[in-house]
Amino acid sequence: MYEIKMPKFGLTMESGFIEKWFKKEGDMVKEGEPLLEVSSEKITNEVASPVSGILLKIIFQEQEEIKVGTVIALIGEEGEKLKEYQAKEEPKKSVVELEKEEISSTKIASPDTDRGRRRKASPLARKIAQEKNLDLSRIKGTGPDGRIEKCDILNFLSFASKEEELNIEKLSGLRRTIMERLSKSFHDAITLTNVTEIDFTELKKISKEQKVSVTSGLIFILARVLKELNKFNAHFNTEKKEYILFKNINIGIAVDTDKGLMVPVIREADKLKLKTINEQLKELVDKSRSGAISERDIKDSTFTITNLGMMRTDFFTPILNPPEVAILGVGRILKKPCIMEDDKIAIREMAYLSLSYDHRVIDGADAARFLDKIAQYIEIPNLE
Amino acid sequence: MREITFAEALGEAILEEMEKDPAIFTYGEDIARQGGIFGAYKSLLGKFPDRIFDTPISEEVIYGSALGAALVGMRPIVEFHFADFLFTGIQSITLQIEKIRYMTGGQGKLRLLLRGPDGISNSAAAQHSECIETIFMHVPGIKVVIPSTPYDVKGLIKKALQEDDPVICFEHKMLYRMRGPVPEEDYTIPLGIAEVKREGNDVTVVTISRMVHESLKAAEELKKEGMSAEIIDLRTLVPWDRKTVIESVKKTNHLIVAHETWKRAGWGAEITSVVQEEAFDYLDAPIIRVGAKNVPMPFAANLQDFVTPNYKDVITAVKQILR
Repeated sequence: MYEIKMPKFGLTMESGFIEKWFKKEGDMVKEGEPLLEVSSEKITNEVASPVSGILLKIIFQEQEEIKVGTVIALIGEEGEKLKEYQAKEEPKKSVVELEKEEISSTKIASPDTDRGRRRKASPLARKIAQEKNLDLSRIKGTGPDGRIEKCDILNFLSFASKEEELNIEKLSGLRRTIMERLSKSFHDAITLTNVTEIDFTELKKISKEQKVSVTSGLIFILARVLKELNKFNAHFNTEKKEYILFKNINIGIAVDTDKGLMVPVIREADKLKLKTINEQLKELVDKSRSGAISERDIKDSTFTITNLGMMRTDFFTPILNPPEVAILGVGRILKKPCIMEDDKIAIREMAYLSLSYDHRVIDGADAARFLDKIAQYIEIPNLE
Repeated sequence: MREITFAEALGEAILEEMEKDPAIFTYGEDIARQGGIFGAYKSLLGKFPDRIFDTPISEEVIYGSALGAALVGMRPIVEFHFADFLFTGIQSITLQIEKIRYMTGGQGKLRLLLRGPDGISNSAAAQHSECIETIFMHVPGIKVVIPSTPYDVKGLIKKALQEDDPVICFEHKMLYRMRGPVPEEDYTIPLGIAEVKREGNDVTVVTISRMVHESLKAAEELKKEGMSAEIIDLRTLVPWDRKTVIESVKKTNHLIVAHETWKRAGWGAEITSVVQEEAFDYLDAPIIRVGAKNVPMPFAANLQDFVTPNYKDVITAVKQILR
């Protein structure tokens, strides 16, 4: 018999959230075949079965968060007898003693504590329950000695109708991490946003010539600006009041996936050629969306860029990706009539850049200088 | 509208009906010379000196002669002095008066009104404090009336004096001096129609007589705590107004019966039983009865208070039923 334990995806992972079981008890599994999907605070991964055999027992169900290393399932050979087994995390779900006949017929009786015991309910409660076709055993009575009364039925009905109207989902591990990090960012940092409108015409022209995305060009420029204005390439530890400036420029790119926002990282972007940035960006976006992203791909970012331009947002106020001290938001590039230096009107490809920064460590003038520098590079680009 | 006492309203009712119906005459102990023990007859003697008279202490004779007079077409009104003393003449009432109509195939109409004071009063002790209306509700053949206000006593007594069946009316001693609006024009109140004295949504309190006022006081207190009690004064126990009670229970889903008589086998038991038969599916909690403790009434004032139900008992019951 083989114990399947909650895997550890990264050094910091303490527990995993079981998103989905691909197999059910009694199913055959082959070695290497996907067994379940687990999300950690950072990523969601499929877990492949390490052995071939029969999934004898699923100890923890979907939507449960389990400590790393806890046995979550048992795989054995066909007909193998399931011995007494003690789960380590939650003893209440512990003792499983199954004979092989039972495994094949999946006759696992759940203890029905109410069976054979009449539920106390007022006549009125019984009448309403009958009219609404309600099972009284599902309702908790608040009357004397647990008697179910009208108010209990009405409470249940109002809750049940809400249940029907809404699709209640527990937050997945990833979504929970996003929630926690954003709350922390919002409450800890003092975030301000500077916005400027920039002429992207030249950058667009070059990226078209070189067959790279505008975002790649932007990352290329950003990496150089961060090298010059190092105070933006930093982390701020609120608890320790430490301001950590990084030499390596690792740019995180916010990617919209069907499981939520992910931020893969282009490492040492200042040392990469435009083409390489473009290739890496494409690869990371693909991996993020397919769920194939690894722990390494999403860690150690020093600055984040987020682009909503393709979704018709002109400008917005991004929120910091803590513990980073700044984030750059990119709006839609739109053709607009512009007054040029010679007072002539021309049609240019314009977009807003929003720089959100932690005002505790970065002054408004610094942010203005940062945007100005970026604007200069974008308007007269040199991507060599 | 003018306000008169319960006793005055009662006297008026009898006077007005005697003026209309020459068959009515009234007698009992101390009613002519004294004007009745609570003064209800004071206005009558001068008007009808030959139709109102005192009797010796002779209950069996009083009720027996009333039975005979009614059988020959008169309409006697007998005052029973104190309800407790009905026991001394109970044979005539429960063996004869109540059964004549049935035993004569409906030919022997027995137009007779028995009336007098009942209820707990200031240290009147065990033989002057009883509420025995339940006994007459139990035996078929006599209508039972229990008014709680001057308006009701006049309307109900006048109606009783127009009935073709024997009627017994209990008037609470503590209510005779109560003042209330009573119209000067002629009116009657039909027997068997309850009055919703106060509307409410959370609990129905069915009551009569003095306990109507205690229940209303309780409802006022409960309102401060957000509980809404509906107070129903039955006014007559035979017949009693099932429709009003059951409709109210269907609305509030909770029933309390509050009476001054002993809790054990008091008339409240009949009401609760009928409600559970006819409106079981509307009850959200067991019905609660409020009544006197099951002992003869003590003489000592503090013990009398201990035994007598009051508004606080109603409040306790409501809180228990609504929790």
